[in-house]
Formats: sequence, C-alpha cells, structure tokens
Amino acid sequence: MASRKRADGDPFEVDRVIHEPARLIITAHLYVIDCADYVYLMQNTGLTWGNLSSHLSKLEAAGYIEITKEFVERKPHTMAKLTEAGRAAFDAYRRQMKALFADLPDETN
Amino acid sequence: MGARLGLREIERKAWLRTFEHGLWDLAVGLLILSFGIGILTGLYWMTAIWVPLAVPVFRDLAKRLIVPRLGHVTFRRKRQRSTFRVQIVLTALAVAGLAMFLLTSWSTRGDAPSALRWMRTHMLAVIGLIWGSGLVAGGWAADFPRLYVYGALLFSVLLGSDLGLSYNMGEGLAGIGSLITLVGLGLFVRFLRKYLRRPEPSFEEGEGDG
Repeated sequence: MASRKRADGDPFEVDRVIHEPARLIITAHLYVIDCADYVYLMQNTGLTWGNLSSHLSKLEAAGYIEITKEFVERKPHTMAKLTEAGRAAFDAYRRQMKALFADLPDETN
Repeated sequence: MGARLGLREIERKAWLRTFEHGLWDLAVGLLILSFGIGILTGLYWMTAIWVPLAVPVFRDLAKRLIVPRLGHVTFRRKRQRSTFRVQIVLTALAVAGLAMFLLTSWSTRGDAPSALRWMRTHMLAVIGLIWGSGLVAGGWAADFPRLYVYGALLFSVLLGSDLGLSYNMGEGLAGIGSLITLVGLGLFVRFLRKYLRRPEPSFEEGEGDG
C-alpha cells in the first residue's frame, strides 16, 4: 500500500474540488479544449443543466474556471474556461494520481 | 464514460464531433456534383456561382441547426494550427490551379517541353491528382479522415476517365459528387436525430440546482 509522501503531498490528500467524478470530467474537457459553452459541456459530460451549473459554480468558487455570461441574439450564452490556477491544479492532480497508481504491483493476486 | 477515455481521446472526440454533422461532406459533395453537372450540361457557370451562393447558406445552417445542438467550443493552439494548415493547403491548391492553367497554355506552343505535352495529353489524371491530393492534404491538415477517401475517389474517377474507361469526366464527377452528398445528407439527418436542441435556460434558472 502506498503511504509515502510524494512531491505533490500526501497521495490521500487529493484536491476534492477536482476529485469529484462530475467535476473531474468537466475539468478534463476544459483542460484539453480552450473554452466551451454549457450546451457543449452538457452534451459531452452527460450532466443535466442544473447539475452542470452547480458543479461549475463550485469550480468557479475555487478559482479553477472562469465563467462568462452574455446574451447572444437575446438568448443566454455561458462560456466556461479553465483558469491558470485550474490548469495547475489539474496538472497536480494528474501527477498525484499517476504517482499513486504507479506504486501498485503489476499483479495483485 | 468509457474505460479507455483518456485526455487525448477526449480532445480528439471533441474535435471529430465538429465534423459529425455532415455539412462539410455535403459541401464537398455538392461542389463535385456541380462540376459534373456543369460538364454534362455545358452550364459551367453553375460551378462558378455555387461557392459564393453556398457559403452563406451553409454558415446559416451551421448557426441555426448545428451550434444549438452541439454547443460552442474553441480549441487550443494545436488545433488552431491545423486551421492554419488548412488555409495553407487551400492557398497551395489555388497556386497549383493557376500554375496548371499557365503550363497548359504553354504546352500548346511548339517549343514546349515533352513533359508538358504529356501533361496536356493526360490532363484529367493530372487534375485528379491535384484535386485528390488537395482533399487528402485537407484531411491531414484538419484531421478529418473522410477526406482521404473522397480524395482517393476523385483521383480514381478522373484517372479512369483519362484512361478511357466507359464513362466521361462529367458522369464520373456527378457520380462521386452524388455519393458524397448522400453520405453528407445521411450524416446530417443522423446528427439532427442524435443531438436534440438543448437551449440554455436563463441565468436565474438552475442556479444552485443539483
């Protein structure tokens, strides 16, 4: 069992803002693209508008994403983009998970 | 989420989704079809007016039918570079077309090199090679694999016509143009059925929900 401390800290002290599955998939999408609107994120994450809105609010409160709300032809249009802090947090999370799972033996039986 | 869905796959899937609606296939198919019909009927102006007429229609279709279903997404620098590569391919195609026109004019003169005279004799194969390569290069530049197939089809049809197979160039072009248009139409219908319009609720709705 991996219990040593890594350069990124204790492997069990994960960033819970990113670690939650719905937020992880949202962050992963925003990490690989530049920015996206709510419709795109709903289509690609399978989340409902309310769920998506709630998780995006949490990510925004953590300073990981930037949300721009505007009206395009009198219709609401919301764009979400990962901030530098969000990108850095996701990178740190990736390294932490990679290090954690790299410690597993090849065969567990 | 699939077990093998990694970050690279997420990005590629998002990119390929922008081609899933079939509008690009429809545009390529109708362009080739208009070439074919133009040759068969002698109405060459059809092809000339197709592009300026079609561009605003396709843009409007994308705005009204595609974006509300697919959502709006902008890609990172790597994909922006591929858009730049597409522009380079289109410029190269325009230059190749102009060069071909000049070389063909030169090839009618008595002092033209034998290679140019050969090129004039096998004009259809050369045009097929240029257009086919253009589509393949466009497919590579935009990471849009179906264009490889369309490029190969276009080259084969024009090469066949050049080798004297039992169809003329107009029939060949109209044939593959119709085929690509049908593929585009099929993809477009599938897209409309798969992605339902999901308007974004007003800002007040959904806040704090979930």
